[in-house]
Amino acid sequence: MTAPLLSIADLHVAMGPQEILHGVRLDVAQGAIVAVLGSNGVGKTTLMRTVSGIYRARQGTITFRGQPIANMPAHRIVQLGLSQAPEGRQIFSNMNVRENLVLGGGDVGLGELDRVLAMFPILSERLRQNAGSLSGGEQQMLCIARALMRRPSLLLLDEPSLGLAPKIVAQIFDLIGRIRAEGVSILLVEQNARAALRIADHAAVLEDGRIVLSGPADQLRDDPRIAEAYLGGHAH
Amino acid sequence: MFDPYYLQQLAIGLSLGMTYALMAIGFTLIFGVLNVVNFAHGEIYTLGAFAGLVLISATAPPIVAVILGALAIGALAGFSLERIAFKPFRRFTDEASLKSRAMRESTLLSSLAVSIVVREALEIVFGSQMRSVPFEYLINTPVRVGPVILVTGDFIIFGVAAAMLIGLQYLLTRTRVGLAIRAVSNNPLGAKYVGIDTDRTIITTFVVGSMMGAAAGILMGLYYGAVFPAMGFTPGIKAFVAMVMGGLSSIPGAVICALILGISESMATTFVSSGWSDMVAYGFLILTLIFFPNGLFGARRERV
Repeated sequence: MTAPLLSIADLHVAMGPQEILHGVRLDVAQGAIVAVLGSNGVGKTTLMRTVSGIYRARQGTITFRGQPIANMPAHRIVQLGLSQAPEGRQIFSNMNVRENLVLGGGDVGLGELDRVLAMFPILSERLRQNAGSLSGGEQQMLCIARALMRRPSLLLLDEPSLGLAPKIVAQIFDLIGRIRAEGVSILLVEQNARAALRIADHAAVLEDGRIVLSGPADQLRDDPRIAEAYLGGHAH
Repeated sequence: MFDPYYLQQLAIGLSLGMTYALMAIGFTLIFGVLNVVNFAHGEIYTLGAFAGLVLISATAPPIVAVILGALAIGALAGFSLERIAFKPFRRFTDEASLKSRAMRESTLLSSLAVSIVVREALEIVFGSQMRSVPFEYLINTPVRVGPVILVTGDFIIFGVAAAMLIGLQYLLTRTRVGLAIRAVSNNPLGAKYVGIDTDRTIITTFVVGSMMGAAAGILMGLYYGAVFPAMGFTPGIKAFVAMVMGGLSSIPGAVICALILGISESMATTFVSSGWSDMVAYGFLILTLIFFPNGLFGARRERV
């Protein structure tokens, strides 16, 4: 068995005196979609930000492609091929769509622009438009497109469906499938457990800063504990 | 019917406004990125002037070398200023800390502290009296344009201000460094997610902005023929007023307001004694804050 692309072990993260993650363990295999489920405030975004180097880890290891990346500066982690479409999108709202994508490309440049725009046709119509004037769904697509500009091997998606209309959510999840088909592994954080479990290979449930349950997604889908807590009471 | 006197006052006002603009560009650039007022910008201006003066008295180099020397000192001063007065207070981790007013207020005071230390240090080393620039370096040869008399410095200052403005617009819209500066200014957290080294980008901004401040200082020294430790104070205030009037983070807005300020001051001396002309700037500041709280050009809130 090959080593996982991303491996998180015994990860502790604290904000000031308060510890938020208490020893998280999680692997993302090459080519997989891994979903982390959990309700508000259990530490999902903290986990994602720590992997991207925004927050510091108090204890534990994060290994990406065999290299330890815990507490590495955020820009170096991006350069290694780990990109994130973060919570709240964090796009550059005063700059146009093209400039947002150029920034996403960083030192890799614009080699990926055509390929990325082919996946997001709506963005190619809006290249000169200010990113802040896009609709919520378009902003989310820009955020994902920007993260793909460096041709990452691992893409972190933090709540990509948050605040979007059901039709747009379906489009976003369809996109996630296509991104994986291009060979990008994905770590997905979602409150929409049903949609996430449909697309993921593997899933983990985060509660109060600990992974309380993890396994293949189809198994979790049938797990009564998941059904009750996250799927509205009945398994599919 | 049009008195040439007013044309002359207009010309004087324009050149005065240009000198304010030189200062306001760097000031606004730094504000746009960090959203903090850099009170030490006036001292960077003074340091630029003194660097030029020291070079002139030591080796009497060609004027280009004097300006390059001032730029180098400006770059060094900008770098040190950022490390000493801004970096220790910066913690970009999440939205909450970015919006925190603590950082803004602490750097307000730390940059003020640096400005006081630099000014006092210059007074200890050079004395507080004015030092005159050797005659052959002055840029005040009169030039007659129709009914108006200008000096060579007016053209040089106009040229330098225009070059700075155009160069900066080019930098900000066409180069990778400039895009990174705008990205950090727009969304520092987002900048981290796309792999921008935010620390380095902020240092770059300080270096560029401070080089502009130092260039303004040496040009003013050569223009007025005098260099002294407190020389940065008044232009600093005027640049601040121009920045606020221009909407805080619009560089073209700050330049236009600097010109309005210069012309108004020069016209005002027609009616009141010149000692009162500073009142024009403060009057404008108060009127702007009352009637245009977002500045004259700040409606869109486009930063940098």
